[in-house]
Amino acid sequence: MRLSGSTSITLRLTLLFVIASSAVLLALGFVIATAVEQHFVDLDMEVLTDRMDLTRHTLLTLQAPDDLKHIDEQSHQHHAMTGHQGLELMLIDKNRSVLYATPNARFDPELALAGAAQRPRQPMLWTVGGQTWRAIAEELPTRIGGRTSVIAATAIDTAHHQEFMRSFLQTLWLFVLVAALLTGLLGWAAARRGLAPLRAMREKAQGITAQQLSHRLAVQSVPLELAELAQSLNDMLARLEEAFRRLSDFSSDIAHELRTPVSNLMTQTQVALSRSRSADEYRSILESNAEEFERMARMISDMLLLAKAENGLVVPTRETVDLAAEVRALFDFYDALADERGLQLSLEGDGTISADRLMLRRALGNLLSNAVRHAAPNSKLRVVITSGPDAVSIAVENTGDGIAPENLARIFDRFFRVDPSRQRSSEGTGLGLAITRSIVLAHGGTICAKSTGALTTFTIELPRLA
Amino acid sequence: MIMKILIVEDEPKTGDYLKQGLAEAGFVVDLVRDGNDGLHHGLTEAYDLAILDVMLPGLDGWSVLAGIRRAGKDMPVLFLSARDHVDDRVKGLELGADDYLVKPFAFSELLARVRTLLRRGGKIKAAECLHAADVELDLMRRRVTRAGQRIDLTAKEFALLELLLRRQGEVLPRSLIASQVWDMNFDSDTNVIEVAMRRLRAKLDDNFEPKLIRTVRGMGYVLEASDCA
Repeated sequence: MRLSGSTSITLRLTLLFVIASSAVLLALGFVIATAVEQHFVDLDMEVLTDRMDLTRHTLLTLQAPDDLKHIDEQSHQHHAMTGHQGLELMLIDKNRSVLYATPNARFDPELALAGAAQRPRQPMLWTVGGQTWRAIAEELPTRIGGRTSVIAATAIDTAHHQEFMRSFLQTLWLFVLVAALLTGLLGWAAARRGLAPLRAMREKAQGITAQQLSHRLAVQSVPLELAELAQSLNDMLARLEEAFRRLSDFSSDIAHELRTPVSNLMTQTQVALSRSRSADEYRSILESNAEEFERMARMISDMLLLAKAENGLVVPTRETVDLAAEVRALFDFYDALADERGLQLSLEGDGTISADRLMLRRALGNLLSNAVRHAAPNSKLRVVITSGPDAVSIAVENTGDGIAPENLARIFDRFFRVDPSRQRSSEGTGLGLAITRSIVLAHGGTICAKSTGALTTFTIELPRLA
Repeated sequence: MIMKILIVEDEPKTGDYLKQGLAEAGFVVDLVRDGNDGLHHGLTEAYDLAILDVMLPGLDGWSVLAGIRRAGKDMPVLFLSARDHVDDRVKGLELGADDYLVKPFAFSELLARVRTLLRRGGKIKAAECLHAADVELDLMRRRVTRAGQRIDLTAKEFALLELLLRRQGEVLPRSLIASQVWDMNFDSDTNVIEVAMRRLRAKLDDNFEPKLIRTVRGMGYVLEASDCA
């Protein structure tokens, strides 16, 4: 049996078995002992009343004081008849003089007198000189020696019964003890057997490490009580696996995305250092490095934002945001760029929501920047705000090359680029849309991308929460 | 007037480069490497600004700041930290920090913020006109002339030029320009600032000499009237 931390279930069950069975056995023993005791009392009483009745009968037939010896005979006869050892008789008159007593009747005449007066023919227990008697006493009519009555007491020495009861109880308690131990043992075995599925589950769970998070506990083959636990553990494992996967994807993404710029920087710097160069050359190299570093720094801060968002650490502060005003401010920002590409920016509709203004601006900014970059020259770029009762949707539309269906699903992934050859363009970190989605999700909204032909639409839907 | 800056930074390279960079930008710089020294310097000498790292041996940046503020010193304090938690920012600001910069940061960004903080303490002249070489920007009439010729600018171009003129000789990082001119406090993926700057230069510099606006690669843009470089 293994005890871990607090008491093990097996030990607990075993103890409960022992306590329960002991209680039942003890109660049973008590009932049996009482019944046996009562049986002895009944038996004794039968003998005592028999003897008393016989004595009453004999007394009525006798006249002379000498005739009392006949009682003795009767008594002997009776002894022979019942074979009862230690049945004693005593006759006393009212002056407390003993008229007759069997040889071993060594009890106190006073007790007989009191008994006959207070509890005639009722069982009594007399203890005299270490000997315990069960006795009855009664006043019997007679004509002996001119008396009208005598007090008769019959008593049985209970030593035999006591002896029997002692050994009976001893056996009984021994039996109870053994039975309790046995049930304990059986209970332990039953508990162990009953808990076998739990142990099997533990062994299975022990086998699960960070590398094998895909393992699951069997839900079908375990008992009903454990199925829910197994299911909960499995759900927990699924969540862990997902978190682990995200974490490891995250690390490998970072490593992968940083590898190229770091390698470029290293090579460039080492080549520069390999021989002496003019100040202008050094300057140019340092400038190029500075640009690359800046991009990496931006990527790191973007990645951190994403990591925080994925772990639910991005908590938007809420204020009322006028969406049309935000979009106009962003149009202002991208105005020069759009103008250069001959794009026409237009805004339709308006609406207000409760949101984090800075985050929302960033999310929309990324969408617009994306649209401006991918719009065909001299095309139209539309932002449409639709205000519903519970939610507001913002759609950003541009005409361009469109996005292939297989890429649409992945467009919000980190570092996903539709055109891999654009990967190292100095423009972006490839995190813009991922950040937009994180911000939208942190606001409890949804985002989707749609592309039909040349028209690409990104739609954000945000709850109002006013 | 020479400005004196205290830097408390335990990371050796960061400390050295901050000191060098700020010294070359014309500041007098004291660099100490742990919190206790930092607090001691902050209390015994007069500085115009302190730059504190949050994680420091001995005494952390929060405690140094708290100690300085307890002693009644109200110089501006700028925090540097590798940790970007809102709680950290809030804590810093509650303790009386004036700004908070997360590593990695562009040196030009730091320099710009340091200058902003130092300016905040001084008196800002409510200038009506800004000048550089033969450029004149009239804030009241919102008009720009160069060599007496009127130059038409859009509202944002005007704001951009105003920023460059107000901070002549300072290299302004793109993020600062985006935030000051457009109120966009995020790093945009796109080269919006470059395009805007190109358009401004086309109007301001293309037909004139000397060229006033200069690109500092990897850092940002600067407007310099006396270009001897």
